[in-house]
Amino acid sequence: MTDETRRAEDRQDTTHFGFTTVNRDDKVHLVRGVFDSVASRYDIMNDLMSVGIHRLWKRFTIELSAVRPGQTVLDIAGGTGDLSARFSTLVGAQGKVILADINASMLAVGRDKLLDAGAFGNLHMVQCDAQTLPFLDNSIDCITIAFGLRNVTDKQLALESMERVLKPGGRLLVLEFSKPTSALLQKVYDTYSFRILPMMGRLVANDEDSYRYLAESIRQHPDQETLLGMMEEASFVDCQYHNMTGGIVAVHRGIKA
Amino acid sequence: MQDQHDPALLTAATAALEATINQALTLAPGARKELAEMADTVIAIDCSTPAVAIFITITEQGKLEVSGYSEAKNKTLVRGSLEDFLALAIADDPAAMLINSDLEIIGQTAPLLTLQQIITRMDLDWEAPLVNVLGDVAGHQLAQWLRGVFSWSKDASQSLRRQLSEFILEEGRLSPPAAELDVFFDDIQSLGLRVDRLASQLQRLARNVDGRD
Ligand SMILES: C[S@@+](CC[C@H](N)C(=O)[O-])C[C@H]1O[C@@H](n2cnc3c(N)ncnc32)[C@H](O)[C@@H]1O
Repeated sequence: MTDETRRAEDRQDTTHFGFTTVNRDDKVHLVRGVFDSVASRYDIMNDLMSVGIHRLWKRFTIELSAVRPGQTVLDIAGGTGDLSARFSTLVGAQGKVILADINASMLAVGRDKLLDAGAFGNLHMVQCDAQTLPFLDNSIDCITIAFGLRNVTDKQLALESMERVLKPGGRLLVLEFSKPTSALLQKVYDTYSFRILPMMGRLVANDEDSYRYLAESIRQHPDQETLLGMMEEASFVDCQYHNMTGGIVAVHRGIKA
Repeated sequence: MQDQHDPALLTAATAALEATINQALTLAPGARKELAEMADTVIAIDCSTPAVAIFITITEQGKLEVSGYSEAKNKTLVRGSLEDFLALAIADDPAAMLINSDLEIIGQTAPLLTLQQIITRMDLDWEAPLVNVLGDVAGHQLAQWLRGVFSWSKDASQSLRRQLSEFILEEGRLSPPAAELDVFFDDIQSLGLRVDRLASQLQRLARNVDGRD
């Protein structure tokens, strides 16, 4: 799919929900349903589905953020707070971490987990939509969105909103499923996602449909170069990406000029 | 925009190294105190062949952060080949080793030597920290795999060197890394099997319950 057709589609009345085409207005509710239903089992499923590797992907993303004490970090679609927990210690008492998510159930699981982990008092939770971030212009040092962008209806709008709230020189990191670099890996990965994932979803989380949606939404997500183009379109500079685990996942980085 | 190594793989190595050393450090308050005095020191290990860079940051708590990426400014940079680094890692007299080797050092040498001594003095156990880093699912398997790859003994330095070079060269260049993929497939397969077994057990159970009603 080219940038243009994707953009055009993004602005139309219908959009993708996994492989199904749905009304744009409905997607938000459908995505919410998915995460309402997976929230309580979300962390264990993450470990199972990725055989623990998601922790490495997140760790490398945090390294790339180069976040320092005293900074303000916004973790969009932060869900159960894996990245926020780490950022909370990195920015220290003088800094601030905002864990933002559209879904109250995911935030609730995140809050309990972070409290248990004894996170600093520098953590704030905000329920909001990535497309319309309720923060001041030029107010954030670093934004991360991990495995969240593919769920957002208008990704371009969301990227523009992130660009707006970042300080000049601030950086955006997008961690997301992407396109495997080898055909063999793609094949195995397809079998895994469409056969084994929904099965695990059924057995562990008793929720086959949600995990089928996750697998499908990964395939609908823009590939490495397309996402890079979208970031540039949203005025980010010095955009680059790193493929991980053979391109199953990529982390994109862009700087606000 | 191709990394020389899969960052996830390098991250597995740095995370494992960090967790293992820090775990051992929790049992060595003396070493921790020594390290804490060097807080905020960053040592950049820049290996030329094979090309990998890792960064070791010493924290105020006297622990280490090991990463594959760092933007810290004042680093002690050590550059050389894998052979030089291995020789340094297992040297009895690292100071002499440093002077005589081809390693290039930019910045302070003292923290590097202290760190080398502390690490070689410790008895490193891979398993528990790996489970912390990766979770139960993959931690145990990776620990076993690493134990094979990094068997940290002076007698084995020859084979260690060979294994390490092979590990870094092979795993680093191929995309996707063959061994990682294999492990991943095996995991998926065995997971699939276990899931299948579980499913049939559940069905049996359900039948039994139905039968009783
Ligand atoms: C797969 S989870 C990722 C959670 C976490 N970042 C992680 O990596 O484990 C995706 C999250 O995106 C959130 N989300 C979906 N659409 C969103 C939107 N438009 N704005 C903000 N968050 C959204 C969901 O509620 C969910 O918590």
